[in-house]
Amino acid sequence: MTHNLNDKQTNNKKDNEVSLSINGQPITAPDSLSVIQALWHAGYPRVKGVGCLDGVCGSCSVMVRRADSPEIKMELGCQLLIEEGMDVFFSVFESPLQHNYELSEINTSWDVQTEFHKIFPEAEKCRHCHGCNKTCPKGIDVESGVDLAIKGRFRESGELFVECVMCNLCMTGCPEFIDPNHVGLFARRVTGYFHTRPSNLINQLEAIRTGELDVDIDIEKQP
Amino acid sequence: MSQNRDLNGTISYQQALGNYHLQKQSLEGFPAAELSMDEQQLLKDFHPDHRQETMTTLQVGPNKGDRCHKQIADVLQADSRIDAADLAGARIQETDVLVIGGGGAGCAAALMAAESGARVILTTKLKLGDSNTVMAEGGIQASIEKGDTPQSHFNDTFKAGHKSADKELIKKLVMDGPETIRWLIQQGMQFDLNEFGDLLTRKAGGTSANRVVYFRDYTGLEMMRVLRESVKNSDVDVWDYSPAVELLSNESGHCAGAIISSLQDCRYVQIKAKTVIVATGGIGRVHLNQFPTSNHFGATGDGLVLAYRLGARLRDLDSFQYHPTGVAYPQHLSGTLITEGLRSSGAYIINALGERFVNELKPRDIVAAAIIRECEEGRGVVGDSASGSSDMRGVWLDTPGLEARNPGILKKRFPKLIQLGLKSKIDITQTPMLIYPTLHYQNGGVVIDENGRSGIEGLYCVGEVSGGIHGRNRLMGNALLEIISFGRKAGVSAVKDRKTRGHKQITIDHISNLRRELMQKNMPMSGKSPLLFPQYAQYDAEKNTTASNESSGFCGVCDQ
Repeated sequence: MTHNLNDKQTNNKKDNEVSLSINGQPITAPDSLSVIQALWHAGYPRVKGVGCLDGVCGSCSVMVRRADSPEIKMELGCQLLIEEGMDVFFSVFESPLQHNYELSEINTSWDVQTEFHKIFPEAEKCRHCHGCNKTCPKGIDVESGVDLAIKGRFRESGELFVECVMCNLCMTGCPEFIDPNHVGLFARRVTGYFHTRPSNLINQLEAIRTGELDVDIDIEKQP
Repeated sequence: MSQNRDLNGTISYQQALGNYHLQKQSLEGFPAAELSMDEQQLLKDFHPDHRQETMTTLQVGPNKGDRCHKQIADVLQADSRIDAADLAGARIQETDVLVIGGGGAGCAAALMAAESGARVILTTKLKLGDSNTVMAEGGIQASIEKGDTPQSHFNDTFKAGHKSADKELIKKLVMDGPETIRWLIQQGMQFDLNEFGDLLTRKAGGTSANRVVYFRDYTGLEMMRVLRESVKNSDVDVWDYSPAVELLSNESGHCAGAIISSLQDCRYVQIKAKTVIVATGGIGRVHLNQFPTSNHFGATGDGLVLAYRLGARLRDLDSFQYHPTGVAYPQHLSGTLITEGLRSSGAYIINALGERFVNELKPRDIVAAAIIRECEEGRGVVGDSASGSSDMRGVWLDTPGLEARNPGILKKRFPKLIQLGLKSKIDITQTPMLIYPTLHYQNGGVVIDENGRSGIEGLYCVGEVSGGIHGRNRLMGNALLEIISFGRKAGVSAVKDRKTRGHKQITIDHISNLRRELMQKNMPMSGKSPLLFPQYAQYDAEKNTTASNESSGFCGVCDQ
């Protein structure tokens, strides 16, 4: 259980334990632990780059190289189970926001495409290198999402980013300095902002506005 | 009925799985449970809130004499991390409104305050959006379906909270439900819609109508990424890695700002503010009663402690929510939340004998207590022969049955759960997940009024840190509604209430009072609070992180 992981590391490696390196430190821990749990287990402090511990906040991105491959992959530290011979580094990339826009400044849904290219002028420079797809720890087809947004197909683009946790790793993988996840979020937001008009919600808002619906807090008096 | 047990009467994971499949394939399937149970007695006998041996009485502060959990008392009655000397060299920053906390409530408050033209600083312990909000799965309540009314929403909320909630607060909450959804859509949030573009709704345990709107089982993620983007594109000044360690007060005892301790450079900063909104969330990471928790890493009750020291009154401190469906196996994911949306959609809960034992759509406290009863009375899975561990316990959440009755529903509506299954190496369409209650929510908190004002002038508290809206048990979907609705109200009020004159004098006199009281009662002064991080993260503010630096060669606190 996550709350008794403060046992200090022992030198006698047990059956289910693996040895790996995290931020250059040799660590031995049970193979059922995530990278973050393994650090704590071994007695190292770690608060930065730790978040929800549930794979959705995007704070704990790590670079990992496995024993059997020279390839470096990007993953989330709370979701990645440790393996023998792994080499893990917490990523410390700062990712300043490059774009500034407010949805309320886009006058009508007819203007979205024009505004998109003003806000994200670099998006159309995408050279289809797959850098964003390779860095995405969620396996999202980021590149297609950017492509669809460039074509103005925002609803379809946004659908590809449903599981995006805004870890910003795709930004680090883009040689053209596109912020693909922010492109995806823009696509999702304009879709909600301009096209979600549910009649059941609107009817109830009107009934509340006119006073037709109200609340009597004296619940005991009710039948 | 199969009775597959060990000789000593316990039922292992594999035996229980056998019982489950036998019963599933039988003609009768899983018939509904006997419903004649005394719910109050069930709560008294099995709900963790009623474990008297872990309770104590508060000795100091505005709630002196009230009963609460020992672990809560420990943080409320601990010494401050701050001395007057610490402030001597601390940089001073001024603002109109200071928002402490970067989850949904803090973002909503900051956006509204900035929109009203105030200078706003938002400080957060980790990064903006690192919060319990981002993990919320089930959805958000708003009475929008034909035939449903704010009155029904009110009645359900009041009843589920055991008639102890503040009625005026609930009224504000439910009347604001539809408007809150509209505001979220205007921030660019998406919801699951039907073919005609209407919002889809589902029931929650304890609701009389379909009232929960949602986006898959990623409602919180969708909400948080949209709000984060809104805040970052606004004039709000966001300070990441800046936990608040104490509030500041003025000559009249009003709140006048806060002291933050930067994790970037390990220095203190005083933020002088005309009004302060505390939106720091709950306290699950103290693991009350040694329960696992579904909570975010930073949920250590910091705001509760800060407000209490300044003299804010708290309520329902002895009442916590244990979410019925936390992961019990595999153990490294223990405590991870499985959304109530499953039960809303018709998933059963089944004991180790292959029987249903509770109406799955009862409020969370009843279902959680019933699960604990099954395990304590020998009808739950205990231990795990494969790994040899003995502290595992739980019952089944019948996802295969739900999928069989509604083909395709898991993939379409619960993508996050599918991911959880993959991580657990369990095909949830074939094999049920083992679940046990997980510490989920602080029902009580700081007493507030309809705009989130605490009893201390200049101090607002919104979201999980506040109390009164949910009484002694919260309904699914009411937390997301609360954080946005009350967050927005507090943001607007905080701007209206800001004093035209600055504070004459900024002090931390309330800490001297606390220390005097603690000494008079002969209380230990060794512990310090707020905790900031769970103990297993091994964060050591005292040593200013240098000790850990030397021993490990790198610093997990500030990466320097």
